[in-house]
Order: sequence, then C-alpha cells, then structure tokens
Amino acid sequence: MKKLANGLIVAVPLALLAWTAHLILSAPAADWNQNPTAAELDAAAALRDHLYMQAAYTITWAIQLGYLAWLYMKWQAQKG
Amino acid sequence: MKKLAIGVSVLITLALMVWGYYQAIYVAPNDAKQGELFRIFYYHVPSASVAFAFFAVSLVGSIGYLASRHAHAGRAQVFDAWALAGAEVGVVFCTVVLITGPIWGRRAWGMWWTWDARLTTTLVLWLIYVSYLLLRRFAEGSQMQTVAAVLNIFGALDVPIVYFSTHFQKVIPTQHPAPVFGGEADSGMDPSMLGAFLWNMLAWFAWGALILALRYRVERQQQKITAAEAQRALEA
Repeated sequence: MKKLANGLIVAVPLALLAWTAHLILSAPAADWNQNPTAAELDAAAALRDHLYMQAAYTITWAIQLGYLAWLYMKWQAQKG
Repeated sequence: MKKLAIGVSVLITLALMVWGYYQAIYVAPNDAKQGELFRIFYYHVPSASVAFAFFAVSLVGSIGYLASRHAHAGRAQVFDAWALAGAEVGVVFCTVVLITGPIWGRRAWGMWWTWDARLTTTLVLWLIYVSYLLLRRFAEGSQMQTVAAVLNIFGALDVPIVYFSTHFQKVIPTQHPAPVFGGEADSGMDPSMLGAFLWNMLAWFAWGALILALRYRVERQQQKITAAEAQRALEA
C-alpha cells in the first residue's frame, strides 16, 4: 500500500508534465487551413488560447507537486 | 493539538486553492485583448510574488546566520535552515514563473523567449539561487554555510532589479508589461478581475507558506541528524 502511494506521488507530477506537452503540441498549427474564414480564424485562436492557458496551469501543478513529492521522499528517508 | 493545527491549515490552504482556481477560471471575465489566455496571469503573478517574498525570507535567514554564527551557534542554525528553505521554495516558484511566462509569451508575443530586461534579470535571479542551492548541496567544510550566506545576500540584490526592470522602458526597451500595481500611471486592474487575482494571491501564499514550513522542518531534522553523526564520529 505504501509502495503504491509512493509510486502515485511520483507518477502524478510526471503525468501532469506529459499532459502539458500534449496540450501545447495539440494546439492547431497556424497553417491548419489554407483558406480560413474569419470565424474559423477566431475559433482557432480561441482554442490555442485555451490550450496554452490549460498548459500553464497544468505545468504549475506538475512543478509544485513534483517538489512536494521530492520533499516527502526526503522526509521519509530521514525517518528511515 | 499540533497535528490538529497542521490539519486545519492544510485544509484551509486546499480550500483556498480550489476557490482561487474557481475564481480564475469561472468568475473572472476574459480579457478584452488577450481573451482566455490572460487567465495565466492568476498563476504567473502570484508565483512571482511568492518567489520574491521567499527570497526575502532567505535573505533575512542568511543575515541572521552571519550575525549570530559566533555568539549563538544554535540560533545560527535556525537562521540557516530558514535561509535554505526560503531559497529552495523560492526557486520552485521562480521556476513556475519562468515556465508559465514563455507559455504566455508564445501566444501573446509569438515567441517563447526574448532577451529583454525583465526576462533576463529573472533568469539571472533563478541562476543565482540555483547556484546557491548547488553550493549548499555539494560544498563541504566549516565555511560552506558562511560562503553560501554571502552569496545569498548578493543574490537578493537582483530581486529589486527584476522588479524595477520594467520601470525604465525608455532606457531599456522591454516586451514585458509594467507591474499591474504601482506600475505606470494607468496601471491597475478591472474590479471584475481583482477578486480572482487577490484570491489566487492569498491561495498561493498559503500554499507557499505550508511548503516553506515543511522544508524548514525537514532541514532542521537534517541538521539534528548531521550533528548526531558528528558526535558519534567524535566519540568513536
């Protein structure tokens, strides 16, 4: 049970990191459509804004939880 | 009683984080120019504020260590633990700033990075404190804490340079906007966004304080373990 918890503590920040990369990479490219209408351009820009905003929030938590996991492991090592 | 107090502060912090997120995503309106992208502000700016505050904690710890290392060895160790904890947690928040900033910049400016005054001085600040942490990790000997404390004091000098780097736009052109509060004459926030910003500021300070306290406890414990090992080595 303890091993599972320790694994999760490490896995969650790594998963968040991977999710951040996925969000950035899945944003539509600038040349996604050769003849876009104004509405399509606006929709693509809004989608890119949304994905980048989500990426910024996700990586923030990846860093914070990653540091917390490192701190927890250091604390566990002291107890042992 | 102590465990109860810790539990309550953890619960309050988590509630603040959830509430701050709700305010930033669902309550605050989209920015007129940047749309939804502007919501990065609610994580980016509080992270920078917390980093600056914790570098200040680290500075006080280093000054305290240098002032008390001869007369009060026990107190000096307490100061040193605060110095290390402040620097390390400050670096974590500064890393958040240096990563969320380019994500924002990529969409707002069309590029991940530019060597303007604010970005460069922030990177230098991060590098100084990372070098402080590396010194603490790898240097040995009785003078290590003293040398690290001096480096910390010099590193802290970069904090006001980072803050004021956007105040001199005519001298040093910068892409980064001036501070939202206390910046240019028309600086400030729309009241509809201010609540979300202040809640996130409070939430990130609470989260940071919790992590800082935890890091301080771990370092104090490490000092005790190191002292006990040294004592055993002397007796052997």
